[in-house]
Amino acid sequence: MGYAGWLFLFAVLMAAGLLFTAVFFMIMFSDLESDYINPVDLCNKLNQFVLPEHTAHAFLTVLFLISGQFIAFLLNAPLLAFNVRKIMNQNHVYDATEIFRTLEPHKKEIFIKLGFYLLSFFYYLYRMILALVQESP
Amino acid sequence: MASPAQQLPPGWTAEWDATHQRYLFIETHTGHTQWEPPAAGPELSPQPSVSPPPSHHAKRRQYAAGQTQAYYGVGDSLAAVPQYSAAAPQPQPTQLFTPGLAADGQFQQQQQQPPPYYGGHAEPEYINAPQQPVYPVQPPSQMGVLADQFGQMTMGHKGLRLFTTNLLTSPPEPLELRQPPPEIFLPPNSCLSQSPYANADASYQRCTLNAIPTTNSLLNKSKIPLGLVLTPYRSLKEGEEEVPVVTDTVIARCRRCRTYINPYVQFIDGGNRWRCCMCSLSNEVPQLFDWDQVRNQPGDRWARAELNHGVVEFVAPTEYMVRPPQPAVYIFLIDVSHSAIQSGMVATATRTILENLDRIPDENGRTKVSIIAFDTSLYFFTLPSGGAESSMLVVSDIDDVFLPKPTDLLVNLQEARPALETLLGRLSDMFQDNHTVGSALGPALQAGFQMMAPIGGKIMVLTASLPSIGVGALKNREDPKVLGTPKESGLLQAASPFYKTFAIECSRAQVSVDMFLFSPGYQDVATLACLPHYTAGQTFFYPAFNASRTEDAIKFAHEFGKVLAMPIMLEAVMRVRASKNLRMSSFHGNFFVRSTDLLAMPAVPQDLSYAIEVQIEDTITAPFVVFQTAVLHTTCYGERRIRVVTTALPTTSNLSEVFASADQVAIATLLANKAVERSITHRLEDSRDALFNKMVEVLTAYKASMTAAGAGASAQLAISENLKMLPVLVLGLLKNVGIRQSAQIPPDLRAYAQALLTSLPSQILIPYVYPNFYSLHNMPPECGTVGEHGIIMPPPLPLTSERLERHGLYVIEDGQTIFLWIGRDAVPQLVMDVFNLPSYEVLRGGKTTLPVLDNPFSQRVTAIIQKTREMRRGVYYPHLYIVKEDGEPPLRLWALSCLIQDRADVLPSYQQFISQLKDKVSVNSMPSFAIFNWMFM
Ligand SMILES: [Zn+2]
Repeated sequence: MGYAGWLFLFAVLMAAGLLFTAVFFMIMFSDLESDYINPVDLCNKLNQFVLPEHTAHAFLTVLFLISGQFIAFLLNAPLLAFNVRKIMNQNHVYDATEIFRTLEPHKKEIFIKLGFYLLSFFYYLYRMILALVQESP
Repeated sequence: MASPAQQLPPGWTAEWDATHQRYLFIETHTGHTQWEPPAAGPELSPQPSVSPPPSHHAKRRQYAAGQTQAYYGVGDSLAAVPQYSAAAPQPQPTQLFTPGLAADGQFQQQQQQPPPYYGGHAEPEYINAPQQPVYPVQPPSQMGVLADQFGQMTMGHKGLRLFTTNLLTSPPEPLELRQPPPEIFLPPNSCLSQSPYANADASYQRCTLNAIPTTNSLLNKSKIPLGLVLTPYRSLKEGEEEVPVVTDTVIARCRRCRTYINPYVQFIDGGNRWRCCMCSLSNEVPQLFDWDQVRNQPGDRWARAELNHGVVEFVAPTEYMVRPPQPAVYIFLIDVSHSAIQSGMVATATRTILENLDRIPDENGRTKVSIIAFDTSLYFFTLPSGGAESSMLVVSDIDDVFLPKPTDLLVNLQEARPALETLLGRLSDMFQDNHTVGSALGPALQAGFQMMAPIGGKIMVLTASLPSIGVGALKNREDPKVLGTPKESGLLQAASPFYKTFAIECSRAQVSVDMFLFSPGYQDVATLACLPHYTAGQTFFYPAFNASRTEDAIKFAHEFGKVLAMPIMLEAVMRVRASKNLRMSSFHGNFFVRSTDLLAMPAVPQDLSYAIEVQIEDTITAPFVVFQTAVLHTTCYGERRIRVVTTALPTTSNLSEVFASADQVAIATLLANKAVERSITHRLEDSRDALFNKMVEVLTAYKASMTAAGAGASAQLAISENLKMLPVLVLGLLKNVGIRQSAQIPPDLRAYAQALLTSLPSQILIPYVYPNFYSLHNMPPECGTVGEHGIIMPPPLPLTSERLERHGLYVIEDGQTIFLWIGRDAVPQLVMDVFNLPSYEVLRGGKTTLPVLDNPFSQRVTAIIQKTREMRRGVYYPHLYIVKEDGEPPLRLWALSCLIQDRADVLPSYQQFISQLKDKVSVNSMPSFAIFNWMFM
C-alpha cells in the first residue's frame, strides 16, 4: 500500500474517532436536557475532550497540507479556521453557568460537526480505496 | 347587627359586603382587608368612616368597592382617576428641547403654562395597591377619535375590554404606571376559596399576560413576550400581611408533577381525593389534612392556609432536608489596602457591623461570624469565646491558601461578642498606616470559602481595589477608545474565568457572595458581579466612595445595615411549575441554573426579582392555567420551609383579550432582563435594536389585527390602553445607563446598571427606567403633609424639561438617586426656606443633606425626600443632589438624562421615538398591503 493509501487509512480512523466524540457530545447534551447529569459535571467532562478533538482535527488537516492532498485540506480548512477562532476568543470551553442558555447553539454546532465528520469519513474511505485500486494493477 | 364604627382604630374603615352579609374591614393605608374587626388602638379616631350597608354593590365583584376606596380614598373614587384630558400637556410642542442647550426663551414660555393638576390625592405605591378594575371604569377621552375600531367589543359578560388609544395624540401619563395590572378574570368555580388572597399578589409573581393564549401561534400573533416576573421573597412593610405558615407538616402534593396543593385544585370523590390543577391527576388527600394537630381535634379543611392563599409557607418535614438546618454564617472580607483605608470605607464598614450586631438574624444563638482582612496578604482574627481580645494571624502565602488555625476563626456570634466588638472597634486603626497597594481578593475568597464550606452561608466582600495578585487577579481593561464601539460588550463580560468557576464551587457548597465595591478607579464591576450573580447574592457599587462626605457614609451605612439585618433564606432551590403545555424556557436573575428547571440559590436576599420566559408547547385546552413557584429553603432561624407562590390565569383564544390582558410593567421588566442578556452575548447595539424591534412588532401586530386600518396606511399609532406606557418604558430602557448608546459611560457604571436592571423588582425597576418628576414650588398645599396614606406626594409630571420653570424647585428621582433641581430665578425666599441660604447664587450644587428648618415648606420638602427614600422595598438609600440650573454641566446633564422624554444627543425624544416607531410600523405593514392591493386590482 502506497503513501496515499496509508494517509487515507489514517484519516479514516481519525474521522471515525472524531465521529465518535461528536456522538458522545450529542448524548451528553441530551442527558443534560433530561436531567441525568448536572451542568457542572457535564462541562468538566466535555471540556476534557474539546482540546484533544480540536488538536486531532488540526493535525489531520495539517497532514493533508504537507502531503499535498489539497482537496482534502480545503475541505477541512473552514472547520480548522472556525476552531482556531473559537480558541483565540477563549470561548471553546463549555461554561456551566451559561450552558442552558447556550445549549441550542451548542447542539446545532455538534450536529453540523457530526454530519461533517460522517461525510469526510466516507470521503477518506473512498480516497483510500481509490488509492488501493490505483496501485493494484 | 351592631355597627362596628365605634370600635375601629384609626386608619381603618368598615365596608358592608353584600355578598357575604358582613362587614369587610379595610386598612386604608395599605389596602389590607380582613373579615375580623381590627384590634382597637389606644386612641380611637373620632369619626371613623363607615359606609352604610349598600345594596347596589350586589353585582360588583367581591371587594371591588372596598378596594376602590382603599386605593383612592373614601368618597372620592372617581374624582381621583387620572383626568386624561386635563392631564395631557399643552398641545404637542413642535420645538424640541435639548438638554444643555436650554434657551432662555423656552423657559419663559413655559412659565405661562399652568401646572397640571391631577387631583391632590397621594397614590399608594402601585404594587401594594389592591387590584381593582381601572380601565373599564372610565375610558379615556381619546376613545372617541378611534371610534371606528372594533377594539371596543366586549369580551363576554365578564372579562377584559380592549380600549385602543392613539400614541400620537395621547402622551405618557406617569400615574398609569401605578395602576395595578389588568384584572385576572378566572372562570367561575375555578377557585376553592373566596379569599382575595387566593391568587398571589402581583408583587410576588406576575405574568406579562393575564390571559394566556391557548396556542403558540396566537401568542406569536400578538408578539408580546410571555414570561413570569417574580419576587418570591419580598420584604413586608409595616401593616402588610405576613405570609401564612402551615405548621403541621402535612404537605399535599401531586404524585406525578409534584405540584403543591393550592386553591385551584378540585376535591373529588367526596373530598377524599383531589385533582391536580396542572396535570389533572387524581391524588389522595393526606389523612391528617382535616385534623387540627394543635388542638387535637377534627379541623376545618376550608380554613387551611394553602387552600386560601396564593402565597404560603410550609414547614418542611425531614424528607425535605439533606442535613439538619444549618445556622446562618456571615464572613466579612474587608479590604484594608491603602485606598480602602484612606476612603474611610473600613472605618464605616466596621462601625456599621458593630452597630448592627444586634440586628444580624440570630434568634436561637446559632449564627456564626468571621472577619478576614486582606490587602496583598490575608489577615485572620481569632475570636476566643468569652475573651475580649482577638489576635491577628497573617498569611502572606497567597498561592496556596490555608487557614492558619483550625478553630476560633469562625465563631459563634453571641459567644465571641466581646472579642468581636473590640476587633471591630480597632480594625480600621490597626491598618491606619497601611501603604500596601493591591488586593488579593481571589485568595481571600478562597480562604473564606474554606472556612464556611462545610456549612455554607454568606460571604460579604467589601473592597476598594481591583484584584491585583493571586488567583482571580484582573487587569485594568478600561479603554476609552472601545466605548461606544461594538467591542464595548466585551468589557461587560467576565474577564477571568475564576469568578465563574469559583461561583459554581460556592453554589455547590451553599455559599453566597455579596459584593460591596468602592473603588475610586476602575474595578471591573462586570467581572466581580459574576460572583453575586451566580451565587444568588447582590452587588452594591459606591463609585469614588469617600466617608469624609457624610452623605456617602450615611448611604453606605444605611444600605449595608439593612443587608446585615435582612432575614435571608439559606440553602434554597427554586422551581417553577406550570400547567400542561407550558414550559419554562429560559431564566434571568441571580442564581445558578442547576438543571433544566431547577435554580440553585445558596442564599436568597429579600426583594430580588427573577424573570422567566415561558413557552407554549402545545394547544392548551384547560379554561385556566396555574403557575406555581416553590422555594425550598432554610430560614436564618434554622427551620426548613417551602414557600409556595401560586398564580392562576385564564386562557383565551381571543387575540383582543390577549392584548387587553397584557401587563406593561411585567413586560418592561422582562424586556430589561432580555436586553441586558443580549448586550452581553451580542453587542449593546443588538440589544437596543432588539428592544426597538420588539416594540415595532407589537405595534405592527396590534395595528394589523386590532384596528380597522389593518395592513393599510394609518394616521394613527394604535395600542391598547393598558399598553400605552410600554413605548415610553422601552424608550426609558434604551436611555438607561445599562443600555444607552454612548461613548462616555464608564464600563463599571454600565455593568452596575445592568446588575440593577436584572435584579430589581418591578416596583424599583420602573422608576429606575421611568423616573419620577415632581414640582415642589407650586405643589398643592396638602403635599408633603401627613395624609391618610402617610406623606402625600405631589402629582408626578411627564418626564420632559418643558415642565421646568426658571423659578421652580423640582425633584427628579429614579430610586437610586434623587435630584433636587432648582431654577436660576428661584426667589430668595424659596432658597431661604429650603436651604437656609440667602440667595440662589450662594447655593452650591452636589451631594447634600437638606437642613431641617423651622418652616412648613422646608418640612414638607424634607418629608417628600424622606418618603421617596422609604416608599419602596429594597435596601437602597438614594443620594440627594442639589442641581442648579446653571451649575456644573456634568451634574446638570446627569439630572436631565432622567427626563427621558427629551431629546439628548443622539437619543430621540419621546415624540421622535413615537414617529420612528410609526414609520417602522407602516413600512412593516406595507408588503402585505401591496399584495392586498394587487390581489384586488
Ligand atoms: Zn399533577
